Amino acid sequence: MHDLIQKLTALPWDQAPQWLFLLPALLMLLAAAAAVMLRNLIHCALCLTLSFIALGVLFIALGAEFVGFVQLLVYVGAVTMLILFAILLTPASEVAASNNPFRAFQLSKAINAALGGGVALLVLAGLLAAIFFSPHAREAVPPAVAATAPAKAIGENLLNHTLLPLQGTAILLTAALIGAALLAKEERPS
Amino acid sequence: MNFLENLPLAAKQLVLDLVEWICKWLCAKTGVTPPDWLIPALLTLVSILIVIVAILGVYLAMFALMSVAERKILARMQNRYGPNRVGFFKWRLCGLFQPVADGIKMLTKEDIVPRGADKIVHFLAPVVMVAPALMLPAIIPYGRGMIPVELSSGILYFFALGAGTELAVFMAGWSSNNKYSVMGAMRAIAQMISYELPLVMSAVIAALVAGTLSPVGIVEAQGGYAFGLLPKWFVFTPWGFAACVLFYIGALAESNRCPFDLPEGESELVAGHLTEYSGFKYAIFFMAEYVGMFAINGMLVTLFLGGYNAPCPFLEWIPSWCWFFGKLAFLAFTMVWVRATLPRFRIDQMMEFAWKFMLPMSFAALISAAAWHYAGRGAQAWGISALLVGVPYLLLGYFCFTRRHSANNRPYLFSE
Repeated sequence: MHDLIQKLTALPWDQAPQWLFLLPALLMLLAAAAAVMLRNLIHCALCLTLSFIALGVLFIALGAEFVGFVQLLVYVGAVTMLILFAILLTPASEVAASNNPFRAFQLSKAINAALGGGVALLVLAGLLAAIFFSPHAREAVPPAVAATAPAKAIGENLLNHTLLPLQGTAILLTAALIGAALLAKEERPS
Repeated sequence: MNFLENLPLAAKQLVLDLVEWICKWLCAKTGVTPPDWLIPALLTLVSILIVIVAILGVYLAMFALMSVAERKILARMQNRYGPNRVGFFKWRLCGLFQPVADGIKMLTKEDIVPRGADKIVHFLAPVVMVAPALMLPAIIPYGRGMIPVELSSGILYFFALGAGTELAVFMAGWSSNNKYSVMGAMRAIAQMISYELPLVMSAVIAALVAGTLSPVGIVEAQGGYAFGLLPKWFVFTPWGFAACVLFYIGALAESNRCPFDLPEGESELVAGHLTEYSGFKYAIFFMAEYVGMFAINGMLVTLFLGGYNAPCPFLEWIPSWCWFFGKLAFLAFTMVWVRATLPRFRIDQMMEFAWKFMLPMSFAALISAAAWHYAGRGAQAWGISALLVGVPYLLLGYFCFTRRHSANNRPYLFSE
């Protein structure tokens, strides 16, 4: 008993928080895999939500509080709801019907799998390249994540250095919103 | 004076000292020499546990009290008695033990899961509902130095967790496999998304003027007195008053209180997304709703009503946490009052009110707050910001409510 206590206390417990971030990471990967593989679309969407939540927890565990909370607010609060509404409001029969516009592009299963895998690899390669070639890759803590006021640092960065892309995104989103409203609103016969 | 102010923190310190003493006594008794990090780590854990237990105890006690107080106040306003039977043996105590009876009833009821229900999601929905609701109170400053978790972006934490409620409502509605559940859930989600925008916008206004996202910082920004007498709470400025009212209405809608209780309108939808829940799961939904209501009212107190600050300098001898809970109790009372007074909205009225009145109004209040800040926060700033809030208010009110909506002219967009 005494031996066991001695052995247990000799473990590097002070490094435990660094390894603890593996937990949400693993959860995120599992949930994402489940979101792809489950049959029921609603279950897929809920698993995707779990993956979003785990990603938010991961951000928080890595010290990016602000980004983590925004991730939860935007993805769990808005994007998931959008996905769920879209699933509920789309009749299931329409997707399987013969007037599927993508039918002409459907190839054999092997080619589909190869194409999908290729796209996934491309995206992964792009992400890795973005990480390795970013100017802050070699620094331990990126400068934007100032420990005291991360929200302030992010805001100043957004409005000073990347104002034009920000405004462009805003215009794009507004246009998309108006377009969606126009498409959704049916003209009523008078 | 100082004794009462420090009472909660002193009680916490007492428990910590006790635990430390027991640990040392145990070590001396068994002859084990623990590594020097063990006891501080244990004490940290214990202090976290104390805070959690205190929050849970206070909020659940408030929930129990509120459930009986609401019925009694409603009864008083409707000229009847309300629950006054339950008590111990022959002491009735005005029916104060009603929550105990309700709890026992809920616990012993049969838990029915519909045959066509999605069992896992049906089980998980109350969990997803109650977990964020119990995490919400963590960032509210209850008194000087009495905040459970001090986050630099606490406001954001609050609204990020609030998003979990929508998910839970959807899960409950969809998994029940009942058309009333799905319709109620759709209504509830539409309502929550619509009213979350003005809610967050008015919180942004308070954060903008205080210059910080931390709840403590916002409360501290409202400390002090103008002319040595008048409190500097945000609610006493033109933009702050507008934002406070908007936040209050948004809080009513987010916690599904009357007049925004149409997701659960029993005359139309049985009980909305709660239709297929019974027994303790129903009680958990109920509890999450009330805890969420207390938390969002606490946020309102923090953002606009000066948090734990006293209204006048000569009332500062009352402990800060008493002020906080007093304001919270007053807000809870007004919510019951509103419920006893106003009839339920129709769904088209509810949506129009959110998108055509509250959202533009919150933008106007935001601009007015910015103008107040840049005009120097003095008398001149007061006038400009009052103008910037008042004119949009009158215009929006005129265009939204006076022109079209007679009883004969209502749009049946979705029912024709």
